[in-house]
Amino acid sequence: MIYLDYQATTPVDPAVLAAMLPYFTDHFGNAASRQHRLGWKANEAVEHARTSIARLIGATAKEIVFTSGATEANNLALKGLAEVRPAGRDHVVTVVTEHKSVLDTCKRLESLGCQTTFLPVDRDGTVNLDALRTAVTDQTFVVSVMAANNEIGVVAPLKEIAAIAHSKGALLHTDAVQAAGKVPFDVEALGVDLASLTAHKLYGPKGVGALYVRRRNPRVSIAAQLDGGGHERGMRSGTLNVPGIVGFGAAAALASELMATEAQRLTMLRSRLLSGLEREVSDIVVNGTLAARLPGNLNVSFPGVDGEALLVSLCDDLAISSGAACTAAEPSHVLKALGHKTELALAALRFGLGRGTTEEEIDRAVTVVAEAVLRLRAMSPV
Amino acid sequence: MNYSPAVLERVRDPKNVGWLPRDAPDVGTGEAGSLESGSMTRIQVRVDRATRRIDEAVFKVFGCSAAIASASLVTERLLGASIQDARDMESLAVVAELELPIERARVAALAVEAAKSAIEDWERKHDRNL
Repeated sequence: MIYLDYQATTPVDPAVLAAMLPYFTDHFGNAASRQHRLGWKANEAVEHARTSIARLIGATAKEIVFTSGATEANNLALKGLAEVRPAGRDHVVTVVTEHKSVLDTCKRLESLGCQTTFLPVDRDGTVNLDALRTAVTDQTFVVSVMAANNEIGVVAPLKEIAAIAHSKGALLHTDAVQAAGKVPFDVEALGVDLASLTAHKLYGPKGVGALYVRRRNPRVSIAAQLDGGGHERGMRSGTLNVPGIVGFGAAAALASELMATEAQRLTMLRSRLLSGLEREVSDIVVNGTLAARLPGNLNVSFPGVDGEALLVSLCDDLAISSGAACTAAEPSHVLKALGHKTELALAALRFGLGRGTTEEEIDRAVTVVAEAVLRLRAMSPV
Repeated sequence: MNYSPAVLERVRDPKNVGWLPRDAPDVGTGEAGSLESGSMTRIQVRVDRATRRIDEAVFKVFGCSAAIASASLVTERLLGASIQDARDMESLAVVAELELPIERARVAALAVEAAKSAIEDWERKHDRNL
């Protein structure tokens, strides 16, 4: 089985696992236990990880708030800002291709008296800056745009988006889950005010994430969504997942080190995959622009093929995602947003390449996908 | 979706994919479903006029794994069957043999409908001595 679903999750790197293990056994202390050595050791490990994660994104350690993952970080950012927003600012701007944890949270904010504008994207999946400029007003308190899309890999022009948000006194939040550690992402250079992160997309463990909350120029305030203990400077109560955080820190440090060479390698592998598919299968559609895209992402639709049948044909050979939402009959909201007809959106495959991907795997993937597509097309009555 | 081995085997190695000349006097063609609905099945049979038994049965399909497996299984059951056996075919039997989830029963019904329509087409030609 060839794993090509690195945007869904990644295996824990052996070095990351090795870093984590002692914190399950020998150093099992609670990081909040300040009275004894076990607690101090745990706390020291947490702070070391915090620094590594901050360094990855150009932040300071105090600006990193640990959470259980990116879904919680997105909730904390948007609900936390909504509760303390300035009077007269009730408007949120986001994009229809965001992760559900942003979209659903924005819908939930209506119960707090907010209104959300869900901006469409252009056919290549990019945010239209003119439309954004029109949408952001003096009543907007936050603009939320993901740094890189999880389905089509398109990278957003965050620096320009930040400028638009700030020009109207709004903050910029970004779901940086797919971007951090894969492409350069510096919160200071980009002007990002809040950013959601997660460990399991960068070869760290599942169940741990973080929210970057800017402390200077401006100092951003958010209301905690979990009460009880006042951990994380009052922003997120709850005993810290010390082994998970240690793993997150180790993964972040490793990602920083490998980012440039990995990006180059994955770009070449992605090109090999695309040219192989174009050579072996006529009539394919690349979803999302290739011009500004995560190096490890390729999303392709195969006209004339039922997406579910294609996925089932491949499931013994490839671990891969399709263009369907969780319910197989519905296409993903991201592909629908590109303006595709339903059958084209459902006939999409998302290839997520990663550290373990080799040229041999890419060549084998081309072979099995081409064979399945050609077989299904030959079977069609049309 | 978790499919039975019977479905998976037929998706990866379907039996009887093909076509027969529509105009041939001993061939009946039947179709069910539509591209717009997301599933379309065509079944063709070649019937021996003397024995009234089905010598060949082939299919083409656009649709999900269950649609492919249903069409494949129906053609397997048609081979060597009598016209009457084909007319008596039931979609629930296809659902049961493939262990299809109930939400896929519709595509099994399309395969059986296409088969019966192919028989009717042959009978129309046969009755008109074409």
